[in-house]
Amino acid sequence: MVTVLQNTQVLLLSAVLLSAGLAKLTIRERAAATLRHGRRTGVGLGLAEGALGAALLVSSHSAVRIGTTMVFASATWVVGELRSRRADVGCGCFGGLSDRPVDRRGVLRATLLTGAALVSIGAPHAGLEVLRRTPVQVAVLLAVELALFAALSPELAALRERLAGGPVRPSCARRRSTLGESLARLRASDAWLAYENAIASAAPLDVWREGCWRFLLYPARVEGRPAGLVFAVSTAERDRTVRSALVTAVPAAGEARAIAKSTAL
Amino acid sequence: MQLPRSRGARRRRDRAAVLGLSPVPLVTPTADRRPPRRVLTGTVLDASPHLLVLRTPAGERRVAMSGTTSVWHGGRADLAALRPGRSAIARLAADGLAADRVWVEAARVTGTILARGRDALEIDMGPHRGRAHVDLPPAALGQVLVRHPKLEPGYLADVICVRTPDGPRAVRPGTSQPGHRAAHPPGPARGAAIADPVHGTATWFGDAVATPGLGAAYPAVDAEGDAGGCADAPDGCAALPLLSLGSEIRVLNQCTGHLGAVPVTECGCVAARYCDRCVECGTSPRGRVAELTPAAFVGLGGELETGCFNAFLFHGAGGGQEARPW
Repeated sequence: MVTVLQNTQVLLLSAVLLSAGLAKLTIRERAAATLRHGRRTGVGLGLAEGALGAALLVSSHSAVRIGTTMVFASATWVVGELRSRRADVGCGCFGGLSDRPVDRRGVLRATLLTGAALVSIGAPHAGLEVLRRTPVQVAVLLAVELALFAALSPELAALRERLAGGPVRPSCARRRSTLGESLARLRASDAWLAYENAIASAAPLDVWREGCWRFLLYPARVEGRPAGLVFAVSTAERDRTVRSALVTAVPAAGEARAIAKSTAL
Repeated sequence: MQLPRSRGARRRRDRAAVLGLSPVPLVTPTADRRPPRRVLTGTVLDASPHLLVLRTPAGERRVAMSGTTSVWHGGRADLAALRPGRSAIARLAADGLAADRVWVEAARVTGTILARGRDALEIDMGPHRGRAHVDLPPAALGQVLVRHPKLEPGYLADVICVRTPDGPRAVRPGTSQPGHRAAHPPGPARGAAIADPVHGTATWFGDAVATPGLGAAYPAVDAEGDAGGCADAPDGCAALPLLSLGSEIRVLNQCTGHLGAVPVTECGCVAARYCDRCVECGTSPRGRVAELTPAAFVGLGGELETGCFNAFLFHGAGGGQEARPW
């Protein structure tokens, strides 16, 4: 019975690692998470998890099992820290599917998987060998464990939403778009090129946001007269459009100074 | 962070210029929409059964009092509560002739409980409002505990107070305490669609002295550039679009039908932590859509001692409901 329990954990961990790696490689995290970890780190983690999951299937070497245990123990620590310190972000455990804040279920899931990894260290067979034999007890236990895993995974709801064609991307009105992203898009736009020679300062006087648009106000000189140039840059994830308008009323001197001061702060 | 009024108006004009929208919301009288009530906020200079004299930011103002004028000072009070030097918020009756309600020294403390003493609370009101030491007398403690079962550090508190020379004194709970810890507010799903209008609860903050004008603390202020938001603010419980200080929101009181346009004057990073409901005239969905200044809240038909009203927030870029300027 102990052997059945150990062999089942090998299959469970392999399935979790392979699916986590696949999700990280195929479903991108949102901008905020990507900024923290970087896309390359995400891809690297996905490849490493996929490799570890495959290694569990083909090898019964203790180094693979211990490595797996260390990965899940580290994940448990990270998830616990996220829950206590960053209540607003997801763990990214399954790439873009794990974008909801970590809750109690997430910590419990990571802890149980670490326990399963500890149990699997003594398993006599590699995953593929267990699959070839597939005793009934292993199949039943694996089904129960997978059901428990599914119950503890909010990612399944996100996946269902994605498969149903639902709104998986954050709305442009709520999307956390960085100022750097808006500036890069603006400077590559035709609207910027059209007014480039009229713009009097490289730094915007005022930057603010309303829903799907970020507005940037630049001082300009048109036909020798001071003016203001307002650019509206879309905050959508893709196909960001840029609009512009020349306004005759530039910020009053006092306001411009206040804006410059607040920008410097 | 407060935004000069002129800057907010200029931002709205610039936005209208670049997106081709109307910069000024128009009046749309409809059967089920009412304009905001007129409100005066200031310090009592003199009071009699027939006249209340207030010193307001715009100068001295006189308000007629009638036999039906109701005075609040920690509860129902008489005219003796209108002592010179006290802050007051007077709402005029629908006909605009006399005050129908006057709140004296009303204040509200909202935030994370830092410490609880035997008869006091230490509350962190967020990065813009600092900390408050709230006196919690035994008479109010029972009422507060009924709606704040976890009156302990780390949880959220919301109490209606009366200003006193020694600081705010709690008189009753503002709303029911959310069950979650302040640091772990549940946010909306990532792909959650943003409705227009957004349905939720509108509350109020501050007092007649600290926040005298019309304005709102909005829970989803962008943190980039000069937008005025806080970098560490949570996403908020209601799915709201990211706006900036100076943006204009239109708030409809579902209970009374009052609709008004209010500028965003503060980052509502504290309101974003509250995943609660308002149960005035029906149960609202979870999440605060705006924290209004006392004058804005009262003008839109809210009662300060009640703490909230069931609200619709219109944010559409030129579309949606239009509101009358105050």
